[in-house]
Amino acid sequence: MVAYEGEMSFKKMTGGGDGLRGMVTRRLTGEQMAVMEVKGRGTCYFADRASEINLVTLRGETLYVESSNLLCTDGGLRTGTTFTGLRGASQGNGLFTTTVEGTGQAAIMSDGSAIVLRVAPDMPLQVDPGAYIAHTGRLKQHFQSGVNFRTFIGEGSGEAFQIRFEGDGLVYVQPSERNTIGGDL
Amino acid sequence: MNGPVIHDANTLPVDDNVNPYAFSVDLDGQWFLQKGKMIAYYGRIEFHGIGHGYLDALIRTSFHSPMHAADWVVAEGRGKMLLADRSFDVNSYDLEDGNLTVRSGNLLAFQPSLSLKQSIIPGFLTLIGTGKFVAASNGPVVFAEPPIRVAPQALVGWADCPSPCHHYDHQYLRGVLGGVRAWTGFGGTSGEEHQFEFVGAGTVLLQSTEQLMEEIPTGETPEQDGVPHASPHNQPSMPRMPGQLGDLQRRFGL
Repeated sequence: MVAYEGEMSFKKMTGGGDGLRGMVTRRLTGEQMAVMEVKGRGTCYFADRASEINLVTLRGETLYVESSNLLCTDGGLRTGTTFTGLRGASQGNGLFTTTVEGTGQAAIMSDGSAIVLRVAPDMPLQVDPGAYIAHTGRLKQHFQSGVNFRTFIGEGSGEAFQIRFEGDGLVYVQPSERNTIGGDL
Repeated sequence: MNGPVIHDANTLPVDDNVNPYAFSVDLDGQWFLQKGKMIAYYGRIEFHGIGHGYLDALIRTSFHSPMHAADWVVAEGRGKMLLADRSFDVNSYDLEDGNLTVRSGNLLAFQPSLSLKQSIIPGFLTLIGTGKFVAASNGPVVFAEPPIRVAPQALVGWADCPSPCHHYDHQYLRGVLGGVRAWTGFGGTSGEEHQFEFVGAGTVLLQSTEQLMEEIPTGETPEQDGVPHASPHNQPSMPRMPGQLGDLQRRFGL
């Protein structure tokens, strides 16, 4: 929160705001978030280190987003954690990711304006793990690797790891790459 | 309320910017990229380090220097590919039978119809031929025509004009007092006493900040008389004295 007009009250939500079970899950999975709840009437402004903010409107779908990229959500949306598999490991963000479910809007942050890419059954998408921030829809993720012996003798292509998305949905990427374990290979 | 623009393989721009920070390449064949600048792609594209098998021949035709080829990747296949670099502004440029010299860290990608050579000026690369290339800058690029003097940090590159030379504000740097000023900052240095000067016909590319992008190695040049180096071997090793003191070193032949 950077500023507000009107009457607001702020309350810290212990452990990510998913109740006791959610709190334990977050601790275990390393997807901790410091969450607060704002209630009231007026305009409240949110910002974080001048990063770009993208609004995602959810109508009953699930948004999968890295907890570090989630800025705020409608109070009516449920947050949780889910297992992502190897993708998380390659990003250095752990094996789990945050989910946001329900109907309402969520704001996600990106370094530079995010690009929304559609994935259709006949149109799979490959994304650099460092540029991935979020996705919605029914997507299957594979971890794709181009590592071969050349990677180990220092002749790697610099694009050794990609996440391959298949199915039907939207993927949000940012025009910048986080430092990832696989980033230099 | 309008949602964000949703792109897919068919609606992504063809060899154009998606937004100020990302560029979409319609790939059918090969493109050369700096390592790690691809953020996403549709279609079937493979990435190989240069020097990989048959790609070895590219060093001869497109890179001309085996030394820095390791920092480049060949993207090969068909599809749409998105390029970006740490959310810097990216722009594409078309060269038509021309030449353009660019700071090594700013060049992101180029078509194989261009050939990449090391510039005589250390830390810069020159593209020659006809084709498209993508370069990043910190803030939008401004095009200027010579004669112009630019701050070294703001220079991105230049096209078709003779190489730049150094320019100093002599009023400010001259004599013992000027030397002390330049050396210590006492007495007020503006930080702008030194510029690159361009003359002749051509275009100079400037970025709107003075924050430099990290350089990538351009490869060593052969150690040979008459070849300029980034760390000059052909310069006197003794530091010049403040205020030059009438250039004592030179007078004593050091």
